[in-house]
Amino acid sequence: MKQHILIITSVLLLLSCGPSSHDIEHEKPGVTRLTYWPAPNPQEMQLADSLVRVWNQNNPNIQVRMQPIPVGQSTEEVLLASIAAGTTPDICSNIWPGALYDYTRAGGLVAFDKFSDFDSVMTSRVPDELLETFRSPDGSIYQIPWKTNPVMMIYNKRILGELGYEEPPRTYSEFLKIGRELAGLREKNKSFDVWMGQRDIRPIWWQRFFDYLPFYIAASGGKTLFDNHTVAFVNERAEAVMAFFRDCYRDKVFPRTFSHQQDPFLLEKMATNFAGPWQIPTIQRYAPHIEFGVAPLPVPDNYEGPIYTYGDFKNISIFSNTRHPEAAWEFVKFLVTPEHDFALLEIANQIPVRGDLLTNPMFDDFFKRKPHMLLFAEQALYTRSVDEVADLKEILDALSQEYEAAAVYGRRSPAEAIHRAARRAELIIEWNK
Amino acid sequence: MKSVHTLISRIRESEKNGYAFILPYIIFFCLFIAYPLIFSFILVFHRWNIVTPMEWIGLRNFIRLFQDPLFARAIINTLIFLVLHIPLQIVIALFFALLLNSAIKLRGLFRSVYFFPVVVSGVVVTILWAQLYNYENGLFNHILTALGFSAIPWLVDPAFAMPSIAIMATWKNVGLYIVLFLVGLQTIPSYLYEAAEIDGASKNYQFFKITLPMLNPTIVVIFILSTIGGFSLFIEPYIMTGGGPMNSTLSAMLYIYNQAFSFNHMGYAAALGFVFALIILFVVTLQRRIMETEDYST
Repeated sequence: MKQHILIITSVLLLLSCGPSSHDIEHEKPGVTRLTYWPAPNPQEMQLADSLVRVWNQNNPNIQVRMQPIPVGQSTEEVLLASIAAGTTPDICSNIWPGALYDYTRAGGLVAFDKFSDFDSVMTSRVPDELLETFRSPDGSIYQIPWKTNPVMMIYNKRILGELGYEEPPRTYSEFLKIGRELAGLREKNKSFDVWMGQRDIRPIWWQRFFDYLPFYIAASGGKTLFDNHTVAFVNERAEAVMAFFRDCYRDKVFPRTFSHQQDPFLLEKMATNFAGPWQIPTIQRYAPHIEFGVAPLPVPDNYEGPIYTYGDFKNISIFSNTRHPEAAWEFVKFLVTPEHDFALLEIANQIPVRGDLLTNPMFDDFFKRKPHMLLFAEQALYTRSVDEVADLKEILDALSQEYEAAAVYGRRSPAEAIHRAARRAELIIEWNK
Repeated sequence: MKSVHTLISRIRESEKNGYAFILPYIIFFCLFIAYPLIFSFILVFHRWNIVTPMEWIGLRNFIRLFQDPLFARAIINTLIFLVLHIPLQIVIALFFALLLNSAIKLRGLFRSVYFFPVVVSGVVVTILWAQLYNYENGLFNHILTALGFSAIPWLVDPAFAMPSIAIMATWKNVGLYIVLFLVGLQTIPSYLYEAAEIDGASKNYQFFKITLPMLNPTIVVIFILSTIGGFSLFIEPYIMTGGGPMNSTLSAMLYIYNQAFSFNHMGYAAALGFVFALIILFVVTLQRRIMETEDYST
């Protein structure tokens, strides 16, 4: 009896270790299998799921498996770990350009421009000038600019209206003037607790994506912190931005604090907020009573020209571990068709990087329904990403510390802070050469 | 080779069961202590960002370390934290231990209450205290301003930030040291106090001449535990201040973490870690020498 039980158990164990029906299908000859990692937020997972479903129905020979990026502290950390472990997907659509330097140095990505139809696909979608900003130092393009979240000024119409302002501030002087009026009101009435804005003052490198960096890009007419991989932010514009934020803290336009509590903009304790389009659904969901507007970032008083900003780009890349780069490229082309860019807008509420976003009739209806998103779409063509340089995070950390010293605490002059940040950035580059 | 084989067979014969019992720990030790330690030591001579292959750079990580003003700042900050935190912790823990050692009502309840913060997650405590310390809306400043004092920039002024963190860390950890002091107090023979009372010694005299000297071994343990705990200051500045304002709360552990996991400088972080470990070893050895010498003299 015991022997029978042993034999049956062994057979069951062997059967359980054998290939399942799914695995048998997986190994079906002639079928290419790809893995696709989208961002793990619910909207993008829903979008990815629906797109993959359509793709798999229409392409029985190239089957794609959608798997959200595994949970980790950040996408970059998960991708770094997966490159190190050799477990990358074939395609990922949540690539932060700032992390690209490490990926390409490790030979982890496929160059898109080696595909013969790359130019024709891209020309119809992304303006040349913008596409060039995503070219890597070795001359190749390893990322398809997919979506952008331009950082703009969202303002509370009621608060500004009550102060007598129908239009949002366009320049530093206008911004500071309203902020000082609010500070005066707080001084007179202790129960009045409304500020012009509020930023996290902790010297955390990525916090500068929502204050110093977009303001620098705006003030300098679309310039970024580096030019040809060398430090390029020692200039008057950089100092002007630092001086602007110093004035904000010195004149109590911004509080010198931070909070783990609810967003003060949603509590109507803040007249303006510098954020991307992700803020719109949040306001509409949690504070639908707030009447808000969206405007470009304030610029120096003497600034002329289009107002640029930082666009929080997330791009598509193919990992070099893929055994099917051509099939992966076909799927990437499918992701960036006008129809699927429309789905990105509609489902995920994020701005696709398309030159024809404002002219293609396909998007008209969406922007009529959601006029705030139209403002972000207009801004999208005037956005810049981060530079693809080594040790970008540490350099931003150095800039963040100088920002804290000069702007938040006024312990250094803006010029000194900029020079110190530049020296530290050069030292970091030198250390890590 | 033959002798090794003989040795193994002899071990197997004579102490097979013993080695079987310690095998799980040996595996754990090799995997999670010995291997990371050896790997870290190899790393200190390399540049490695996890993704690209390791690159031999000799002593360049150490050269950078000695030129890095932020590391020096982080070490000084950590020492400032220790200077603030350890005396505060010892005095408060001893005070409450003495109270709880006397015959007061609800003694058991108080002992539990003081121990509660120790078992609460450090992250939860830190977030809670960040709210209490909030300059504009925090409870502490509400109380201060209601009493007519001016608000204190607890976490947003370089002069106040580290003391504020030291106060919070003391609140969080003091329960553990109260328990240690209570154990120490209960091991002091009562006849010493009885003899002192017969001799007419005052309570203060008894405290300084009996209690404190008899607690010296406990104080040494608490001092060393607090020092090691203080050197590992991380969660509080990571969550509350991010190392600011003006790097005033940038602890050595936070700086090492940033280098390793924010900037992916694994080799440099390993070098920082080794140097930091040597500093801890030096400080703790020095403490033991000084305090144990005092012990012998008493």
